[in-house]
Amino acid sequence: MALSSLNLRYGPGAVRAGAPPLLQGLATGVGSLDDITGCRGLPRGRISRLTGGSSSGAFDLGLVLAAEVSRSAAVAIVDFTLGVDPGNFEAYGGELDNCWLVRPRRPEEGWAAARTLAQAGVALCLLVAEDWSRLTPGAAPAALLTALAEGDCAGLVLGGRLIPAVLKERICLELECWRLDWALAHGDVCGLRLGAQVIRSHLGAPGASCRLQLNFPRPYQRRVGLEELTELAEGEELAGELLSVAGGSGR
Amino acid sequence: MSQPTSRTRLACFTFPHLALVLALRAHPELKGEPVLVGGEGRGDQQVVVAASPAAWAKGVRPGQDWRRAEVLCPQGARLVVDRAAVAQLRRQAQLALAGCSPLVEWGADASAYVDLAGSDPLRPEESSRAAHCGRTLQEALGVIPSVGVGPSRFSAWAAAQLAAPGRVRLVPEGQAAEFLAAWPVTALPLPPEVAERLMQFGLRTCGDCVSITMVDLQRQFGPDGILLHRLCRGLDSARIDPWREPPLCGVRRVLAGGVEDSESLCFGAAELARGLAQELSRQGRAAGRIRLVLRGEDEPQLPSKADQQVWWGEVSPPTPMATADGLMGPLLSLFGRARPLTPVTVVELEAFDLVAPPVSQAGLWQGRAADREVVQRAVDRLHDRFGTGLVWRIEVRPGHPGDVPEERLAWSSR
Repeated sequence: MALSSLNLRYGPGAVRAGAPPLLQGLATGVGSLDDITGCRGLPRGRISRLTGGSSSGAFDLGLVLAAEVSRSAAVAIVDFTLGVDPGNFEAYGGELDNCWLVRPRRPEEGWAAARTLAQAGVALCLLVAEDWSRLTPGAAPAALLTALAEGDCAGLVLGGRLIPAVLKERICLELECWRLDWALAHGDVCGLRLGAQVIRSHLGAPGASCRLQLNFPRPYQRRVGLEELTELAEGEELAGELLSVAGGSGR
Repeated sequence: MSQPTSRTRLACFTFPHLALVLALRAHPELKGEPVLVGGEGRGDQQVVVAASPAAWAKGVRPGQDWRRAEVLCPQGARLVVDRAAVAQLRRQAQLALAGCSPLVEWGADASAYVDLAGSDPLRPEESSRAAHCGRTLQEALGVIPSVGVGPSRFSAWAAAQLAAPGRVRLVPEGQAAEFLAAWPVTALPLPPEVAERLMQFGLRTCGDCVSITMVDLQRQFGPDGILLHRLCRGLDSARIDPWREPPLCGVRRVLAGGVEDSESLCFGAAELARGLAQELSRQGRAAGRIRLVLRGEDEPQLPSKADQQVWWGEVSPPTPMATADGLMGPLLSLFGRARPLTPVTVVELEAFDLVAPPVSQAGLWQGRAADREVVQRAVDRLHDRFGTGLVWRIEVRPGHPGDVPEERLAWSSR
């Protein structure tokens, strides 16, 4: 009754329900990872972030996700570190013909390139840096968010333990990764088993997690890239690992 | 300079001087009247630039002193030439003809030569090709040109003089001497004293001179005798000095050495198509017609480009093409038809009839090719803004194993 009278007085749409809009997700190719994000993949038109400690697999996970997306759509990698090896991207099955690698000399160039490419319609814009606080001009994240929304592009931020508030407050989904175990074969480290958990989300309650196996590119590898880790190792407990990693990172 | 071969065919287009065309366009009431155009500025240096047929009949000629022309034709209308408008009209006509052939020579604003060699599947006959060029020129100038086609420059010009406006006069292959037999020697492009001496010898037409050997003509007239011998037989130069306007959209590749085999040239087709697609993408256009030009030499120190051996061919795709994949088919068909006269050192691919790129349903099936074009245009804008070296495309370089990405991979910013 009250809503009806307000809409009658101030026009239709004056009062709306507070439910979040339905977001389209950019499928990652791994069902369990898509399940925990809340939108069946990386949210399009929003900024996501992958974080984790040393050897947690967060960086490779981002690279594998970009490689997966590049098989069917255009991908931009904005490399502020100037250290991303496109060979790894290709080794993980990425389509180099669908990949544009940005190596900015100044931070402004990198943000401008990210905005332009996102507006042009790349499906995924991967931003890699080591220290976001030095590289983030005040208005850049907001402008990037607008461009992502216009281009229906998913933004993914990698690297850096600490990020400035102007960037953090615009991150829609944050996934934390931690290493469970190394995968061994033929006496060689052929992969990484890792866990991923949603620690921040605008799409739903955080806390959902999944387990993944990241297969490194090896000549004998049956499958390179990401796959679901379904079998639990004996005595392995996901929550305990998560807490230990979380404690180490200071949360 | 090499001798013209039997395959060489030139088209000559003659039309009223551009200054006269513009003057009559501004003053249509003077059509048919004696008109003198020129007289720019003041003083004794004023000369006639163009004269109408009525003034020509009174003895007025281009280059004549203005005062003398006024004496010869006192009733003629005297108009001042508009140099800027003439230059603009000339450029329009040159661009129009360059769209028909890459070998166009512009001559003194009253004639033009076009090399009809090359291949055009839509117009396999030289008469239809010449007529097409004539119609194109007519649209650009607004006047109807006369067209002559012959094996050499002079025979083509003579044929154009005999042709009515809007008609094509052909000099049959191997019959240039017969065609020129009745042509007066006074109309040959020779010094007046040579023509005068020929008249004194009783040699009034080209046919009279054909019976005299070149040695005898050279003994009498020196180098002019050799030229006279060639002119009368239609063997004078057929090479033209082409007017070159940078194509609105095109790519040019200089090969490391001469390539004779057209099959070998096909290996570069993908790179050419990619380069043209990038250029089209940068301009946001699609090509309605593409032209392949194979040049034998690329020596800028040559006094004239007339010595270059050129093969060219055109093709019009069913729909305008903007992507490298789309351009590959027409380009390969052109390479398949290519018959270069000499080893090729320069390959040019030019796009014409540029239109907005079509959005086709087929593009949806090509791995988001349409999206890639949009992204590539965005990358080009970034390069224009920040310079090259910001956004990179990566390719795996086969046979270069190693840990350093810069060596193992091929990086390109375009």
